[in-house]
Amino acid sequence: MEGGGRGDGGARDEFFSEAQELVDGLGRDLLMLDEALKRGQSNAELINDVFRGVHTLKGLSGLFGATRMAGLSHQLEDVLDDLRLGRIEMTTKVLDLLFQAVSLYAQILSAEKGESAEPVHDVEQLLLALGQASGKRAGGSASTVAQYDLDPSLLGVLTEYEEHRLRTNLQDGLALYRIRVRFSLMTIDTALDELKVSAKPHGEIITYLPTGAGADTDAIELEILMASRAPLSLLRGAIRGPNVVIEEVQRRSGAGATPPHIPPPTPPPDPFSPLTSVRAPLGLDGASLPSHDSSARGRSPLPTPLFQPAPVASMPHAASAPARGPGPGEVSLRSVSQTVRVDIRKLDRLMTIVGELAIVKTAMARLSERARSRATGPKELAIELGRLNRTLDRHLAQMQSGILEVRMVPLGQAFDKLARVVRQISREHGKDVNLVVTGAETEIDKLIVEELSDPLMHMIRNAIDHGIESGDERMRVGKPPVGTIALNAFQKGNHVVIEVEDDGAGMDPKAIIATAVRKGVLSSYEANDMTPREVLALVFMPGFTTKEVATDLSGRGVGLDVVKTNMGKLGGVVDITSEVGIGTKMTITLPITLAIINVLLVEIGKHLFAVPLASVEEAIALDPAQVRTVESREVLSVRGVSLPLCRLDRLFALERTAPMPSKAFVVIAQVAQRRLGFVVDELIGQSDIVIKPLGKSLKSVRGFAGATELGDQRVALVLDVAVLIEEVLTPGEARYLVQAEGGRA
Amino acid sequence: MRRVLIVEDSVSTRAFVRAVLEDSQFASGLGGCDVVEASCGFDAMRLLPRGPYDLIVTDINMTDINGLELVRFIRKSAHHAETPLVVISTLRAEHDADRALALGANVYLPKPFTPEQLRETVAKLLEGRPVRAQSDGER
Amino acid sequence: MPAAHARGRSGRRAARRAGESGTRTEYLAFVLGGETYAVPIAQLAEILKPPPITDVPRAPSPVLGVISVRGKLVTVIDLRRRLRLAEAPTDRRTRILLVESGGGEQMGLLVDEVHQVWRLAHEEIEAPGVLGGEQAVHIAGIGRPAGVDGAVLILLDLRPIVEGTRDG
Repeated sequence: MEGGGRGDGGARDEFFSEAQELVDGLGRDLLMLDEALKRGQSNAELINDVFRGVHTLKGLSGLFGATRMAGLSHQLEDVLDDLRLGRIEMTTKVLDLLFQAVSLYAQILSAEKGESAEPVHDVEQLLLALGQASGKRAGGSASTVAQYDLDPSLLGVLTEYEEHRLRTNLQDGLALYRIRVRFSLMTIDTALDELKVSAKPHGEIITYLPTGAGADTDAIELEILMASRAPLSLLRGAIRGPNVVIEEVQRRSGAGATPPHIPPPTPPPDPFSPLTSVRAPLGLDGASLPSHDSSARGRSPLPTPLFQPAPVASMPHAASAPARGPGPGEVSLRSVSQTVRVDIRKLDRLMTIVGELAIVKTAMARLSERARSRATGPKELAIELGRLNRTLDRHLAQMQSGILEVRMVPLGQAFDKLARVVRQISREHGKDVNLVVTGAETEIDKLIVEELSDPLMHMIRNAIDHGIESGDERMRVGKPPVGTIALNAFQKGNHVVIEVEDDGAGMDPKAIIATAVRKGVLSSYEANDMTPREVLALVFMPGFTTKEVATDLSGRGVGLDVVKTNMGKLGGVVDITSEVGIGTKMTITLPITLAIINVLLVEIGKHLFAVPLASVEEAIALDPAQVRTVESREVLSVRGVSLPLCRLDRLFALERTAPMPSKAFVVIAQVAQRRLGFVVDELIGQSDIVIKPLGKSLKSVRGFAGATELGDQRVALVLDVAVLIEEVLTPGEARYLVQAEGGRA
Repeated sequence: MRRVLIVEDSVSTRAFVRAVLEDSQFASGLGGCDVVEASCGFDAMRLLPRGPYDLIVTDINMTDINGLELVRFIRKSAHHAETPLVVISTLRAEHDADRALALGANVYLPKPFTPEQLRETVAKLLEGRPVRAQSDGER
Repeated sequence: MPAAHARGRSGRRAARRAGESGTRTEYLAFVLGGETYAVPIAQLAEILKPPPITDVPRAPSPVLGVISVRGKLVTVIDLRRRLRLAEAPTDRRTRILLVESGGGEQMGLLVDEVHQVWRLAHEEIEAPGVLGGEQAVHIAGIGRPAGVDGAVLILLDLRPIVEGTRDG
């Protein structure tokens, strides 16, 4: 927080947003690496992507004075460089540690941004573990490259990594091809992408080299160096284009067909995947390796089997690090980025609307001129004004929806990070869990996405910890040994629905009741007339957990009640269904945007309140004759259905200057199947409002989602309907009663 | 007015370079400074013919066309054979930096650098050189 | 308000007389229940004439409600209630002092009347010990501007006041 934001002209904001993107990207790449590793493959391209990400992070953090991040990146970069240059091998252990590094980055980022005062430790420990997990292997030999008929000037423009990839491929016995191609500068990006796609199945592209022919014109000639196992004829068939010429780079005459020190090429697991693991000849510069790296394995003259788990004895820290390292429960998944990337077309559309508004403005000016000169009669003026007003209205509505669209981001942004969490938690827990995501493209307000990450993480933790059974247990009950958590998102009207569904053991209502009674959340008397739905809702009560022993995972004092509260703040609701032996499904229903909402303004006494229309079913005149009192609660009969009533003046203890009017109204609100009628004096009308949060000093005040300015300086509070329904319909008095009983016992 | 082309795939590094070079105090010493951003080698190649530029700053580690290849390309082109060329890259890439210098880059500036280091480097390279960007007019 | 005007001028004169030596801190003086208080200007963002204040049900007692200041919601607390002074009706002299309350938020403090700005030298400030008692946390000291007979300013530290209202 050196306040550099202003001095750097926004560059520092740009830094946070880019760093966040890079860290998110790292997480995604690691997940893909993990997938590849599970299939027994390595993926040089992905490792290089991770390296590049960390490399860029290091550069950035250095420029912007984020020293902790620079430090971590610096050390990580060394490890990753060794990984991509084949000096150390990618193993599950190493991957675990890299995943931890991503969590650390997230922590450091929010600390750098000044959002979290927590010191970021564990960096040293992680690096130590990484150092130990990565038994170094010896580097390769440069001599192979020399045997090819390559232009020496070409070698001069290869980066160290490209040179390494070239060498590795040649050592693995791949042939080297030169692809000459000419592209128009305007279309080169797409044209090159097409070429990459067609080339990828057949080998690895080492480098793209502009030949310089056609420089300073609008076309560019590239020489692409590619290593492949495929014969020339196959490549010529696969990589086509108007200006593509492919030839094989020949070995120099005199060089042996296979130099004696090159190990015989082993076919890769997938014949079309050239991205096999790196196996370099050993023992070239062992002396330069740090002593702790010269483990028996690092020096082994035997070819190391692909992806054998590293021996545990040689890396005590690494073996225990995942358990001791920061669990994701302690690391917020929230992004520090306040930036939204916008499709330029969306902005163009907004720009067009602004143009239309300018036209309206001109028309207004002309009209005002005519009014002043009295060239137009008042009646005509009124007609003109009415017309302009309608046009203005239409454009403002377009503008509003356009801006809302700009704020929308795909939910996938939050889901990507969750995949990482699932992997880590399931590994920590020794449970095999598969995460299946649908609807990641569903769009929702950027602000909501940020607030969603942590609650979703908690729900997933909960599912793995309490829901999914151990592999043995699953086999015993005839389920597949790998558990499944489905994360489904879809849009439903003005809401987005997110489901977290597991195929675990489900929740037993009897166990829930037993726990609730024991914890004093409920009396056994009350438990008798609870519906199954109400029983399940008990898990959202503060301090509730069904597992006898709080495990490392969910027993951190954060319960589902917090999830529920946080969702409520976003205007959302959490619902739960569960079937013993089949699984549990939690459903979050959220408004698509927080920014602008349509409300019904109501008046009670002299107080104005806004009720979000999304949760209003209808508003009707109150017929006192239809009100009965059931168990000291007022119930209104509406078309034969009972509706519990809530008198807001009593609930909020509002001062009244005049008595309640004889003709009152009922606003019927519904959230997730639960209905409640709010009794109000007057319905003022509908309005689109911008909702703003109440300040920190009012954080403890429940029942309001925020407030809005109505013009002429007046402010109206916006009711938090979900919270109020919860408060009114949950037997709060009963809870007090139980607690009092517990106190006596 | 001096025109500087920055080739770098990191948005914030580009923003940093722009902020440092377009800083009013520094820029006024150059008679104004206009920074043109390219986010990759191809972008740079598209922008090069629209020069001239008084100075080019390029990163090395980029996808597709790397900075070394770009340096070679720039030196081959008729218009930019002499344009001062700064290569920015991280310290560990010394191997790559050496190659860049061998290919004709004028200065290797290791990342991270301070605003002062960048300004100093740029000022030194531009010292005494005729202003190109204006003499030929736009494009 | 000619009276206030005259006081303002004499205050400035006093400040000038009292010292070319040492650094001085600027304080805004205001009235609360007949006493004159002052806060460092650096802690203030703005002084407002009170707009209509919207009552917030269930809010902690010193909270008067919320107002909108240029599109931002601001919680207003009654500084009399906060300092446990007798309440008084608002009138045309009532003002709201806007202060930063951290995290980019602002808070409004309702006061009876705003006076002048005093520039106090270090020597003109006494330690708060003289008062003792419960209020001592918010009281940063007593200001006695040199050269102005009988002028006593109760210097407030707004931070504990602003923070203490957060959780009720």
